[in-house]
Amino acid sequence: MTTSSDTVQTDLLRFLATRTGRTWETDADVFGSGGLSSLFAMELVVHLERSYGIAVRGADLRMDNFRTVLQMTALVERLQQQPTAGDSGGSGA
Amino acid sequence: MREAVAAATAAVTALVGDQAARWDRAGRLPEDVVRKLGAAGHLTAQIPTAYGGPGWNSADSGEFTAHVGSLCSSLRSVMTSGGMAAWTVERLGDRAQSAELLPRLASGDTAAVAFSEPQAGSDLSAIETTVTLDGDTLVLTGRKKWVTAAEYADLFLVVARMGEEGAVVVVPRTAPGVRLRRVTDPLGCRAAGHADLRLDEVRLPLSSLLGGGRQPLSLLVTTALAYGRLSVAWGCVGILRACVTAAVEHAGSRHQFGLPLGRHQLVARHLADLWTAEQIAARVCEYASRRWDENAADLGTAIVLAKYVSSGQAANGAAAAVQVLASAGAQDGHVVARAYRDAKLMEIIEGSNEVCQLILADHARSRT
Repeated sequence: MTTSSDTVQTDLLRFLATRTGRTWETDADVFGSGGLSSLFAMELVVHLERSYGIAVRGADLRMDNFRTVLQMTALVERLQQQPTAGDSGGSGA
Repeated sequence: MREAVAAATAAVTALVGDQAARWDRAGRLPEDVVRKLGAAGHLTAQIPTAYGGPGWNSADSGEFTAHVGSLCSSLRSVMTSGGMAAWTVERLGDRAQSAELLPRLASGDTAAVAFSEPQAGSDLSAIETTVTLDGDTLVLTGRKKWVTAAEYADLFLVVARMGEEGAVVVVPRTAPGVRLRRVTDPLGCRAAGHADLRLDEVRLPLSSLLGGGRQPLSLLVTTALAYGRLSVAWGCVGILRACVTAAVEHAGSRHQFGLPLGRHQLVARHLADLWTAEQIAARVCEYASRRWDENAADLGTAIVLAKYVSSGQAANGAAAAVQVLASAGAQDGHVVARAYRDAKLMEIIEGSNEVCQLILADHARSRT
């Protein structure tokens, strides 16, 4: 199942607003000034995985994939076109 | 799944027997105990079945970890290290690396994760161990401190700096340039095989870089520690369970002033507080494991909370247990004496109390 990039963007903006108590532009660096914590980075990864049925692993964990809503949306689009075999099993996050 | 956990629980109980006190005093676990647990997949119970692991969820793995922690915190520490290494490979490695390493870790190979350095303890952003590329090999140089389970490990997962970013390198113990020095007489978890690690221009194939490296250092550390912290938190539940058992038994059997100790109100209060501590720690760990199994977004916070609460409860609870046992428990090797030393160490490793407090304060601020 894939999700349209508009839907992903809207969802991510809502998630960021809920989690940070402020609004964000799609091209704003969420880890820039006043940088969000690494714990939050992990939250973002988990949120993307859970919401879009993708597995963000290995080389995809680069910061450039998470800096802005636009970059995260591109990551989701790319990973939704890949199979996620080998990621089944008991452990979650 | 429940049957598998029950069987593993019985097996580890039999394997440890009454040996934990002796291992603590000797500062060493028998190699075959570690190998047997590893070969059964019980050092890395959350490795998915697709990779040959038991595939337990966090809730079951947590209860098992608590049980091992109630028997021997040193053995539980080795389990924490193995499970954290496996999780780090699963999370940060590419598919080929997972397919190569996870079946090994599920069937007996042991691993430890190296974070801390002489100048980088709580501040892991100060890590100086560096990986550079030289053609088709990588070169790793640096020093690591207090690597838990290092003495038993076949593989080290070394957190390093790579340019402006971070990387985790899989280093075989036998690689040229790797040297270990045992940490002598640690305060707690004395048989957990803590060692310092020296890496002098260790040359390895590029496939040793999990996920190709160049990932954000803070995200690497947070991800690896997520498993380690939750495992330590469950281990603290085990420490508390062992203390409750020992304190209740002693307070029921020893008489002073014509009454069992537990009938004296000041001692009864210790028992109440100790039991309450175990309940608090268990609930906060159960919650974090549930969030893990649901892959919930607040997982990271739930884990830090569990680690912070459980280690504090264990340190206070173990002190109360020693107080109840008094001279009967005030000797190295005794279950409550071990608990007292081990629990204090749990307030330091995998993110000290103060580091946890900073993270939780940051979280509280970001919510308002």
